[in-house]
Formats: sequence, C-alpha cells, structure tokens
Amino acid sequence: MKITRNEDIFFRKEAETKKEVDELLQDEEADDKGYITLIDSGTMHQLNYLGGRIWELCDGSRNLFGIVDVLSGEFDVDEEDLKSDIEDFIEELMQRGWLQYG
Amino acid sequence: MGKVVAYLKTPLTINWSLSYSCNFSCSHCYSRGSNISEVTTDEIMRVVDKISAAKIPFINFGGGEPLLIKDLLEITKYAVSKNLNVSMNSNGFLLDKNMAIGLKDAGFATVGISIDSAVPEIHDTFRNMKGSFEKATAALQNLRDAGVKTTMSSVISKINHKDFQSFVTIAEKYDVSQLFLHNFKCTGKGFDNREEFDLSPEEWKEFYIEALAYKNSNKDIDISFDDPVMAHVDGFDRNALVKGSTCGKVSLHIRPNGDITPCGFIDIVIGNIITDDIKDIWNNSEVLGKMRNKTPQGKCTSCASYEECVGGCTARSLALTGDINNPDPHCWV
Repeated sequence: MKITRNEDIFFRKEAETKKEVDELLQDEEADDKGYITLIDSGTMHQLNYLGGRIWELCDGSRNLFGIVDVLSGEFDVDEEDLKSDIEDFIEELMQRGWLQYG
Repeated sequence: MGKVVAYLKTPLTINWSLSYSCNFSCSHCYSRGSNISEVTTDEIMRVVDKISAAKIPFINFGGGEPLLIKDLLEITKYAVSKNLNVSMNSNGFLLDKNMAIGLKDAGFATVGISIDSAVPEIHDTFRNMKGSFEKATAALQNLRDAGVKTTMSSVISKINHKDFQSFVTIAEKYDVSQLFLHNFKCTGKGFDNREEFDLSPEEWKEFYIEALAYKNSNKDIDISFDDPVMAHVDGFDRNALVKGSTCGKVSLHIRPNGDITPCGFIDIVIGNIITDDIKDIWNNSEVLGKMRNKTPQGKCTSCASYEECVGGCTARSLALTGDINNPDPHCWV
C-alpha cells in the first residue's frame, strides 16, 4: 500500500539546513541533525536525517519497498537493517497520525 | 525522532499586529496606549510577499482588534493565495454570523477568541466592555456554524486561576480545537495593573501543578501553555524541541508600522519589515542572539531545570528586572 502524509500536519523543508547537514555528513556522523520541521497542533517537531528523507518520500507514490529501494541507494548500510529502521519509523508516525496509507 | 534544534533559518510564525486600534480597553493589554502609525494595505500586501518568499508558513493577526482592519479579508485572501496559513485572535465582539462566513471564505485556518472568565460579569469588567462575554461565546458559535476551526485564549490572572476548569467547559461546549492558558505578561497595561491581577510565584506554582495534572489526565481537550517556568512541575513535557521562551526562536512580531520585535511583549525594535531583510534580521540580530543564548543569573545558576526553563519568560524578566538573563519573577523555586 502507498504511504502518504497527513495533510493536516504542516511541514517545512529547511533547505539551507539540509545543505549544511549534507556537507557535515561527508566527514562525520550527523544523522541526528534534521532538516524537516513538522507542526502538529502548534507543537514543533524535527525529524532526524533519515526520518526527513522518509518523510519526503511518503508522497503517496511509493509503498514501503519503494521507499527502501530509494534510500538503499543513498545510505551505505545493510539493506535489512535499513528496511527495519524505515518500518519502525513509519509505524511510529502512523501511530501519531502523521502518516497514513492511501 | 531527532531532538537537536539547528536554529531555523527563518521563523515559522509571524505574529502581526496590523493595528493597535481596539474597541476594548482590557486590563492586561500590552498594546493599549501605544500610539503608532500604520502601513498601508498595499504595503501590507508587499509584506505578505516578503513573508511568503522567506518560506515563513504561519501568520497570526493580533493587535489591537483585527476585525477593525478594513481590508482584513482581502489581506487574508491574498496571504492564503500565497500558501500562507492565516489565523487571528479576536475579542469576538464584531464577529457576527456574516463575519464568520466572511472569515471562512477568506480562508482563515483558525480564529481564536479571548475569554478571561467563565463568569460573564467578571469577563466584562476585566475587558471593560459590557456584553463582551455574550458576544465572545456567540462568536465561537458563529464560527462553528460557519465551519471555521476555533481556538480559545485565556490569560491566567487573579480573576480566574482557581476556576480554570470552567474554561474547559466553554471550550468543549463550542468544539474549540485548542485552549490556550496564557501566563500573565507584564507589558503595557499588564505592567500597570500587575499588582491587581498577576499571581504570586506560589499561586503560579499551585495553578500549574493543578492545570498540568488536569491536562495530562484529560486528553479530549487540547490545552496549551506558554510559560517556561512550568518546567519545574512534575509531568512537564521535557521533549519540547525549543526550550524556554519561543519568541525569537520560532516566531517574530510585527508592529502596525512594520517594526519588528522579538515578541509583542518585548519593546525592542530589531528591524523593520518594509525596509529590512527578514532573514538577515533573523540570523544576525544581536538581540535575538542574546535571547537564544541567555546566561543564567542568580538562582538560575544552580537550578536543575535551567536547561528546560532557560530562565523562564524572557519578556517578563526584561519587563520586571530590566535584564533578560535574570530569573523570571514568576519562578517559585
């Protein structure tokens, strides 16, 4: 099933911050630094780097395997581990109501 | 979930006072008495362009009473056409059925109505306007009928701190989406009348212990607070991304003449939206830099909750002690 973002959850991609984090990632571990800001009922949240990439890809055009497929080309990690991390993340955001199937 | 705040490159919210004109004269008003020029509607539209270009997603109109702005609906329609999420805070007095429909058509995402006591006579006296409670609740009803999402704002003070649950009753009755229980700011008339209306530190402590326990055990209603000193109360959410005051970290305030201040309660002008680049101000303002990097003073230096509270409400520390780094006088620790 395709995964999509809840339209009631506002998000902003911090483009300049992403550029900075991308540069940091060349040399060091910076995957806790995010660039996607979410607002849910007036409360601000920030996704970590992988979470941000997953969020961007949850545009209704991909299912879990499609997302894993894209990200396995971007992250130099074991694909099974990556799939597990992505599944956990999507599950958490589904529970929060930020992501949904459809 | 990442917990690191890399400071945003532009604010998320602009709190915009289009005018300080008001049909009320409330006992706690921060802006009453301010005599300030107003930019034209054409200039307001250009400011909307600037806000949109800076990718700032939220505008909240305050004031003054926004419904006294002649071109409010036109301005809002334009902002919405620029993909901005527009809300406002009103006393509700002018918000009849037709206006509610107009606000819906203009594209307001939410409209907030201020109610400071569930006892009509007390609300009316506090707001110096007879019949204002009745009009405020009618406004909530009119907005609901028109399909506009509402919020409710209540400033906690001597007149209501022992009866805050009655606000919940009103909020539930009118399907209010979020109830804001604001701390009492000591700016403008709030400063002049602080002896009469502001709570003592011990009273704030009692209020927050009770209100936070209520919030955490009643999930049907979304209750929000804006007071960093709550960090001292058990049950406080320590996962908040932004610690301490959010002004200058998430939001900025624009005055009717275009001057920019960190928030409506801090009288320090850090630029002007007409003449200056908002991104430059956001990233390079010395004042904002100091607010984001406060230095603990006095009892804050040894406080275990400082990382969460960051000295409390910056506006209140400044107004009452003259130094943003001093402990918030509301703090009971």
